[in-house]
Amino acid sequence: MSHKLTSNSLNNRPLKDETKLLDTLFSTVVKFSPKLLIAILILPVLGGLLGVLLPAFGWLPALDRTQFGLQGFQQLVQTPGIAQMIGLSFFSSIVSGLLAFVITLLLLANYFDSPWLARIQRLLGPILVIPHAAAAIAIAFLITPSGMIARLLSPWLTGWQSPTDWLLPHDPYGISIILGLTLKELPFLLLMTLGAIAQPELNIKLQAQYRVALSLGYYPITAFFKAVLPNIYPLMRLPMLAILAYASASVEMPLILGPNTPPTLAVAIMNWFHDVDLSLRIKASSGAILQLFITLSVLFTWWLLEKLTQAISSKSLSNGQRTYGDLFWSKIINIFTLLLIGFIALALIGMVFWSFAGYWQFPLALPEQWVIMHWQSALLQVQTPILNSLSIGLVATSIALILTLLTLEFEKQNGAQLSRFSSVIIYLPLMIPSIAFLFGLVWLQEAVHSKATFINVALAHLLFVLPYVFLSLATSYRLLDSRYAQVAASLGASPIKIFLQLSLPQLLMPIMMASALGLAISFSQYLPTLLVGGGRLNTVTTEAVSLANGASRRTSAVYALIQMLLPAIAFSLIWLISMRKKRQKAQVKLNNKTASYITKVNR
Amino acid sequence: MSSVFENNSLQIKNLTIMRQQTPLLSLNETIKGGDVLTIMGPSGSGKSTLLNWLTGMLPKEFQADGQLYLNDANITKVASYQRNIGLLFQDALLFSHLSVAGNIAFAMPKGDSKTRAIKISQALSDVGLAGLENRQPESLSGGQQARVALLRVLLSQPKAILLDEPFSKLDSQLRQETRQLVFEQIRQHQLPVIMVTHDESDAIAANGKVLHLKTPQQDI
Repeated sequence: MSHKLTSNSLNNRPLKDETKLLDTLFSTVVKFSPKLLIAILILPVLGGLLGVLLPAFGWLPALDRTQFGLQGFQQLVQTPGIAQMIGLSFFSSIVSGLLAFVITLLLLANYFDSPWLARIQRLLGPILVIPHAAAAIAIAFLITPSGMIARLLSPWLTGWQSPTDWLLPHDPYGISIILGLTLKELPFLLLMTLGAIAQPELNIKLQAQYRVALSLGYYPITAFFKAVLPNIYPLMRLPMLAILAYASASVEMPLILGPNTPPTLAVAIMNWFHDVDLSLRIKASSGAILQLFITLSVLFTWWLLEKLTQAISSKSLSNGQRTYGDLFWSKIINIFTLLLIGFIALALIGMVFWSFAGYWQFPLALPEQWVIMHWQSALLQVQTPILNSLSIGLVATSIALILTLLTLEFEKQNGAQLSRFSSVIIYLPLMIPSIAFLFGLVWLQEAVHSKATFINVALAHLLFVLPYVFLSLATSYRLLDSRYAQVAASLGASPIKIFLQLSLPQLLMPIMMASALGLAISFSQYLPTLLVGGGRLNTVTTEAVSLANGASRRTSAVYALIQMLLPAIAFSLIWLISMRKKRQKAQVKLNNKTASYITKVNR
Repeated sequence: MSSVFENNSLQIKNLTIMRQQTPLLSLNETIKGGDVLTIMGPSGSGKSTLLNWLTGMLPKEFQADGQLYLNDANITKVASYQRNIGLLFQDALLFSHLSVAGNIAFAMPKGDSKTRAIKISQALSDVGLAGLENRQPESLSGGQQARVALLRVLLSQPKAILLDEPFSKLDSQLRQETRQLVFEQIRQHQLPVIMVTHDESDAIAANGKVLHLKTPQQDI
């Protein structure tokens, strides 16, 4: 039919052909984007793993080692303090994960039905985008012997006139690391859980079952643990595992807060890789394999704990006990929440103070002198790092955004979600310790003689940006009412027109949110920037970390604050735009209302 | 067996519920044990708001004036979990992480686990569900789920029961049977009941006083 039509109207023919070409191109691009997305995630990770696996067993042609052997592992075992390194990595991740989990549950249980939950969510939300390095610096400043806590308690409580010698931070037991990781993981877990239970259908069911439990005489906290938690834990499991995997191999936190002799395994591996003695690379690669096993055993331990808790608690779920000292616990949680928020606020305030502090003698809680000198000198030097952060972030986020949107469009057109396999792949860079594959990736990039540092770094960032952008956009895209697209198609709109003029505008806010998130993730990357960039590309984050151990506290504070400000600016922009949109909508509504009122009166 | 009291009663004294200073509904009623007060009205007339007030879960945007007495005790300010008022919704809302027996046990007072298990089996066979203790709630039919939900409420030994459109999701044959069972059981336990519905046949079957709430005035 259409063929006949076009042959009748010759004038339209070139235009039609052009749109047809565009349509075909679009459908091809859409068809291949899921495969490209998976490839971009899976190839560097697997290639990187291979690039670590071979040297780990002694095969490193660059050093003329082409025989497989176990020397790397032998050296590893003989390293002094290796047991402490492993123990530190293992326990700091398990304990911090457990603490973050328990605190999340207590907050949820105590405020499940209260407006405070939303308020706490809003308070903790911004911490999510604070880079690990900046958070670690803030916490280090807070707990150090001359930090804000010691200042506020001295001399009236402690009697200290000068900073005493206590073990925090850098304590050999990893307490500071645990503190830092817990505070950073808590908002992530809480927000992921709240996001999961905000799904309309599930939320209605949970609220109703919670009320059933209350009406059956269950006290609120017990009602949450017995009636709600068993239904939401399955949704918390994956974020929980991501936290544990990250914590077991993180570098920034232990670098800034942890002990040096010996450090955690991940930090030690990084040092070996960076050693001038290139033969240490074999030991480092073996270490990376060991790191993988530690991460796996942390995840396995969590699984064991989960099964154990299930076995112990399954009977008591329906034993009819309505309260376990709920009223007491509620008071404790209230106090704890206040302390928690106070602790975080104090850490941030302390950092702002340091960045403007001139002369500041010990027990005084406020600086005696306020100066802007540190900011001035830092701003002179930080311009290139800021530009680098921005350009890497923009490139990585744009690619991530385009790939994600096209992949989701593919899903929509084919009416099917990604396969289970693909969904797991998207999490891959978050689950596999980056220290275990990034070195292999560097080695691969060296092997193919890729000298384009900027592109290499941006692609490495993409590995970590893409999962977050995808996860953040997928829900909204999948919830998009497909009837709009059907209506548009029935009016003769082509798929590309529907995509560009219908789907994208409808998703403007989620897309903006995903972009801000992608930028924030990219800004915070330390290890990929350092390793893939080979130290030639400095970002605000790499500068902040290298300044954290060594430079003056005041300069360090300025850098950490700049590091926090970058994502904050991105999110504030989004917030401003959304407020504007809301106001416009409200204006339109008001105008309509006035109009209808006037019509009524006139009648 | 607190539920066989002669003087069970639920008393609503001079209740007015307002939304932003606009009165939504006013009520003054006493329901004796075994009686059912049926409340009917179109959506938006404040039926569920009334139930929320009765359970102590009135949302912030509403203000209420008036007293609630349960067996002559003033419970207006008592927290929802200490009111002893059972709730039955149109959805069974069984806990999917617990078995049928687990759901009922969840509601029962604490006690010896063997005695509890015997009571559960007894109750299940009373309503024609003998032997289903270890089934998962999802594997039951809608009518069966409704009956388990009823048992869950009754075995929690409430002092009054609120029914929120309890039969509206059941088809007509099942509806009649379930309705009969619910009213029978409630009468046996001599509990005061408030039922919210918009089905005339529910009201007739309840065989008690019927109140019609009006649609609130439309604001311009």
